[in-house]
Amino acid sequence: MEQKLKRIIANVLNIREDEIDDDSSMETVESWDSLKHIELVVSLEEEFEISQLSTDEIVEMISVAEIKRTLRNKGVDI
Amino acid sequence: MELRDKKVIVTGGANGIGRCLIGKLVDENTILGVFDINQEAIDKLKKDYPAIFCKNCDVSDPKQVEEAVDDFYGITGAIDVLVNNAGIIHSSPLVSIEKGKIVKYDIDKWDKVISVNLSSVFYVTSQIVQKMVMKRTRGVIVNVSSICAAGNIGQSAYSAAKAGVSALTVTWAKELSLWGIRVAGIAPGFTQTETAVGSMSETNWDDWKKKTPLRRMATPGEIADGILFLIKNDFFNGRILELDGGLRI
Repeated sequence: MEQKLKRIIANVLNIREDEIDDDSSMETVESWDSLKHIELVVSLEEEFEISQLSTDEIVEMISVAEIKRTLRNKGVDI
Repeated sequence: MELRDKKVIVTGGANGIGRCLIGKLVDENTILGVFDINQEAIDKLKKDYPAIFCKNCDVSDPKQVEEAVDDFYGITGAIDVLVNNAGIIHSSPLVSIEKGKIVKYDIDKWDKVISVNLSSVFYVTSQIVQKMVMKRTRGVIVNVSSICAAGNIGQSAYSAAKAGVSALTVTWAKELSLWGIRVAGIAPGFTQTETAVGSMSETNWDDWKKKTPLRRMATPGEIADGILFLIKNDFFNGRILELDGGLRI
């Protein structure tokens, strides 16, 4: 599941999977801007088949660690 | 149009595409006026070409435009060509995520981008066309639009302004042909100028390069050559020359 998450992030942000760790965030990844963030959120919703994320969740999941926490809260085993 | 001894004004002529165009217009033996807001760039230009009329002018301010046009006209007694090239780029989505909040596009930024890229074209052109008409000059107006006029993600104001510039080009061509004045536009694709490079991250640039069929950005010289063609070709009117390496947004 962790690998799946890295694959999604790498695809959306156009970076290599080995560049991604829990500390990766909008602050540290140059290509992770607001537009890419929304693209990432939509990809995560589709790929992990989770219900629509709330605005609060969307603005909080701005790092890989936060994305994992949100996905866990949605019942994803990651 | 034969360019020798023609009086030409280029807005934003001290930098980037405009600066490159100036070099080519000097080679064509034109009498040049440059309106630019960047004094440092003006000083450099003056060093290279002391004879060029340069005016520090914010083209989004109609009063400054009137003064600059009058000053140039006072010296030359005519204006044959205007190139509306001055512009700024601002990239930001309509809503973005900043510090844990959903933030709207900044209204001041919107106003500034519209004012510099679109309103300025109206101010400078109306001022100059009035003089062309009064003197019955068979002049040429070239407006620099952009590939972004089609609507570029993350560039609401810039795209809207450039779409407006394209629309003005068509409108004015219809109105001014009767006076013998041609109006043409150019829509460059992504071009390697300081302003453009500074407006996007390196990743974004690489992305656009990959999307461009020619796999590279335009050089300012290639776009300046396009502008020169529009000035010279007497049958080009009311249309926008798309000079974008084959890229479609």
